[in-house]
Amino acid sequence: MPKQSLFILLLLTALLSGPALAAPPLDEIIRRANHVSYYNGDDGRSEVSMTITDSQGRIRNRLFTILRKDVEDGGNQFFFVYFKRPSDVRKTTFLVHKNMERDDDRWMYLPDLDLVKRIAASDKRTSFVGSDYFYEDVSGRNINADHHELTAEDDTYYVIKNTPKKPDDVEFSSYTVWIDKNNFMPMKAEYTDKNGEVYRTMEVLAMETIQGHPTVTKSRISDLATGSNTVTEFRNIKYNIDLDRNIFSERYLRRPPREARQ
Amino acid sequence: MKLGSTLIQFSIQRPKLITILMVIFTLGLGAFIPQVHVDTDPENMLAEDEAVRLFHTATKEEFALYDVLVLGVVNERHEQGVFNPETLRHVHELSQYAATLSDPENPDYKVVSRNIIAPSNVDAIVQAGLGQVSFDWLMAKPPTSQEKALEIRDLIMDNPLLKGTLASEDGKAMGIYLPITSKKYAHTLSEQLKEKIATLSDNGDQYHITGLPVAEDTFGKEMFVQMAVSAPLAMLVIFLLMLYFFKQFRLVISPMIVAMVAVTSTMGLLIGTGNTLHIMSSMIPIFLMPIAVVDSIHILSEFFDEYPRVGDRRKALLHVIDQLFMPMLYTSLTSAAGFASLALTPIPPVQAFGIFVAIGIMIAWFCTIIFIPAYIMMMPESSLHRLAAQGSGDSHVGTGSLLARLLRGQGRFVHRWPKLIIMATMIMTLFAFYGISKIQVNDNPVKWFTKNHEIRVADEILNNHFRGTYEAYLILESQLAELTPAKAEAELTHMFKSLAADETSKAVVAKALAVLTRAAKEDSTEAMLTLLENDLLDNMDLADETTYDVWDDLIAKVDTFRNRDQVFKRPDVLKYIVDLQNHLLSTGVVGKSSSISDVVKKVHKELFASDPAHYTIPDSVGGVAQCLISFQNSHKPEDLYHLVTPDYRKANIWVQLPNGDNKVMESVVAEVKKYMVGHPPPVNISHQWAGLTYLNVVWQDKMVSGMLKAFLSSFVIVFIMMALLFRSPSWGLLAMVPLTMTIGWIYGIIGFVGKDYDMPVAVLSSLTLGLAVDFAIHFLERSRAAYKKTGSWNTAITAMFEEPARAISRNAIVIAIGFTPLLLAPLVPYKTVGIFLASIMAISALGTMLILPALVTILQAWLFRRYTQKPSIPEEPHA
Repeated sequence: MPKQSLFILLLLTALLSGPALAAPPLDEIIRRANHVSYYNGDDGRSEVSMTITDSQGRIRNRLFTILRKDVEDGGNQFFFVYFKRPSDVRKTTFLVHKNMERDDDRWMYLPDLDLVKRIAASDKRTSFVGSDYFYEDVSGRNINADHHELTAEDDTYYVIKNTPKKPDDVEFSSYTVWIDKNNFMPMKAEYTDKNGEVYRTMEVLAMETIQGHPTVTKSRISDLATGSNTVTEFRNIKYNIDLDRNIFSERYLRRPPREARQ
Repeated sequence: MKLGSTLIQFSIQRPKLITILMVIFTLGLGAFIPQVHVDTDPENMLAEDEAVRLFHTATKEEFALYDVLVLGVVNERHEQGVFNPETLRHVHELSQYAATLSDPENPDYKVVSRNIIAPSNVDAIVQAGLGQVSFDWLMAKPPTSQEKALEIRDLIMDNPLLKGTLASEDGKAMGIYLPITSKKYAHTLSEQLKEKIATLSDNGDQYHITGLPVAEDTFGKEMFVQMAVSAPLAMLVIFLLMLYFFKQFRLVISPMIVAMVAVTSTMGLLIGTGNTLHIMSSMIPIFLMPIAVVDSIHILSEFFDEYPRVGDRRKALLHVIDQLFMPMLYTSLTSAAGFASLALTPIPPVQAFGIFVAIGIMIAWFCTIIFIPAYIMMMPESSLHRLAAQGSGDSHVGTGSLLARLLRGQGRFVHRWPKLIIMATMIMTLFAFYGISKIQVNDNPVKWFTKNHEIRVADEILNNHFRGTYEAYLILESQLAELTPAKAEAELTHMFKSLAADETSKAVVAKALAVLTRAAKEDSTEAMLTLLENDLLDNMDLADETTYDVWDDLIAKVDTFRNRDQVFKRPDVLKYIVDLQNHLLSTGVVGKSSSISDVVKKVHKELFASDPAHYTIPDSVGGVAQCLISFQNSHKPEDLYHLVTPDYRKANIWVQLPNGDNKVMESVVAEVKKYMVGHPPPVNISHQWAGLTYLNVVWQDKMVSGMLKAFLSSFVIVFIMMALLFRSPSWGLLAMVPLTMTIGWIYGIIGFVGKDYDMPVAVLSSLTLGLAVDFAIHFLERSRAAYKKTGSWNTAITAMFEEPARAISRNAIVIAIGFTPLLLAPLVPYKTVGIFLASIMAISALGTMLILPALVTILQAWLFRRYTQKPSIPEEPHA
């Protein structure tokens, strides 16, 4: 498998360059960070609970199952989201076809209105169901959308500053990511607004290794402008469960697969 | 020796020491003035812990609402109004710029950029082709073509939340709503915006800034300018008038000194005792000045007539002070009582105002008694000689002057036709009562500015274009009764049974009902539901493929039940809100209202391809919730929580009024109350109002009822004091006649001319009482003295229309004309004070000198019965 050979290659590079492990090229850091965040295994499933706490301390919860299948590793992907709570949005589903070369395709199904609806996804930086997560945080930002720059490095982290190629399309002027040197997991990110102030942060709060993959089990996004934050916890994570490609189709929105419901 | 002359012995003997002491006293208190803490917030008309205010603050916090400045852009030149690329570029530039603004002096005061309502900062729900719906910024970038500009217009006009708010229906005006963290920033922000606007190219755009916070903050700022301009100007005019009457510069300067001392030390005391300088207290100097000079004018007027006759200043002074001591004490006490009664109003700034004016009056009185004699003693001999020389022959002010001749004529007229005067008075009083019955209690801070003030102009133009820049919030709250576990069990049993469809589900439901019965043994419903849900979850975990979904549905039912108090997701409740809103609109005074129902309807319609038939509330809680969760896939999901709380137990109907008059707000409040009584909501819902427009109504109500209470109680106090002063209830009652007439007529005229009974008018009632009684006291006291001296009212009345009448007239003229500079002020309350003072002076002087002598003439036998029997009266001078 290409992944394994790459690993060996890296290992060899490390060995050859002596005790001090040479930094991989910037592109490689970005690629691996993206991979460990969104492409573990060929597919996967997780139960997700979101706790949204606003500036007044008022709490709202969202509980859903998320299914993922990679079309190609590091490339196009499918996501299926099935809502369980709150009870009045139960059975609401989302389907996302993440496309590298064009806008994503996005559908939602609203059971009580008996309506399947396509949602334009030209702007991926809108709220995901009222939380502080954006759609782009759930499915991953295209790594080709930004210029990357390694601005600092210490024993633990690569610090990478990302500047959008199309600044008019996004609300940030840049964001900086702290990537763990051991497993390439982005552990922290800070988004800077057009006035140069940090207004949004992402932090990884807990991690586990699941089926050999370093996996985030708890993270938080805080919106410093609204004073709101969302903590997301992932449970019952499984990789490589052989999800049928067909369930990621419009047809299944009304009748979600068993993997999503249970 | 009398009390008066005893008291001034020291002044006469040690005038310099008195002066030094007074200067020390004034400077000592005046030293506090630089510590002034200014507060121009009319919200502080209500006490900090006032329930309505606490609710208003809590509401603002809970629904993340801010005070809003409205920047309106109007374009009448372009055929598409503001919807042309150039204007929209300006709008975009201005709103982006405004988002960065804060107060340079206090960085905590800033624009809440996230909550700006502007084309670049609101989401549009758009049909994006291929049956897609999209949530996108309405105007992320200014449009490059006319066509694109019109697309933006169409999107706004198709969104009931934006139409009439963000843009006017005629397309000629665009509104940028700038929320600010503090009202105190409103004026500075509007100045910052004006600077930016000046840099924009001219394409026919006009800019207007309005909103209650700007009006209130700007009023505060301009008020202090007025205080620095009007008060000294009034002082100058009073000075010039006195100079005209008394000729002697040195003599005339003394009342000015008394006024300065009274104003400076009172303001020093106010600030030194930790009070803020509020809109009300800033008017203390204006109110205090006329009262402070009145007593001095009486002394001077009397001295001016007496000195040439006696030729010795010490003798003249002692005579004058003995003559005037009691009337002056009583006039000051009554004026002070009139103002002190304001302490009975439930409005803290009015209380402070009343108390400190009362203190100031007593300071002025004391200074007059102590300092004026000292001052006269210190005057050079030459000035007094000149005074003696001009004496009685003077053509303007002396006994041969026009004023003197007119007054004598008046005296003869009164003496001849007393019944005619009383008849005329009674007829006028009837008219006054009719006028009073027509008085409209109403106020509007924007109308505190004169008609051509830019804030008034902006207010009128923008409210013509938009659905209203005055905001009020109608807060609805569900009041669901707590359920006992037994009742909860009954309801849940019903809900569970609805899931029993086939054999499999029936079996599962039967098991679940057993679980329910066990759980219902818990003490509280909350504990019961937790136990129930956990037990059901355990069952679901063990369930097989066929029964899993049934267990899942059962758990959902428990969750639904648990959230039964989320009433503002219920279709029936949302439809009720729609009906209520429609009713509000039908009243004609509400421009627009926005609620959670509007959001749901709009989203529902867009989800169904913008089909107008779906501009409705979905039929189920789930349908509503799914519309809302769709809406929340936007840039600003938290916008929803301006209209409903996240627990869906409270909703906010944002009401926009094109007119900020309190009477308009009052009618809306009454209308909602009536509607909710006549049309009970489907569940128990309470309602309450918040918002600045509503707060104004509340403090106005308190003001009106408080003022009435204060006025009535001071009326009683003044009557008691009069009865004491004259040692006779009938004379006391007589003294009340002119002031009652003055107040009656003034408020009657207000009713007739249709001037609103507003904050300044309300406060002026106490000034009227305090000032109007002065003349009556002087007149009656002197009448009695004259009667005692001559033993005949026929002789006495002639004497009364000599020096005493002249003193009253001079006083009235000086004060009335002295405050005419206030009429030039750009602020209406200052004009009101000016007109009021002139009217009080004119009416009460005329009333006193017509009605009182007429009444005394008619009632003389009865009034003087005691004096003919026992002629010794303690206050009588020249025993």
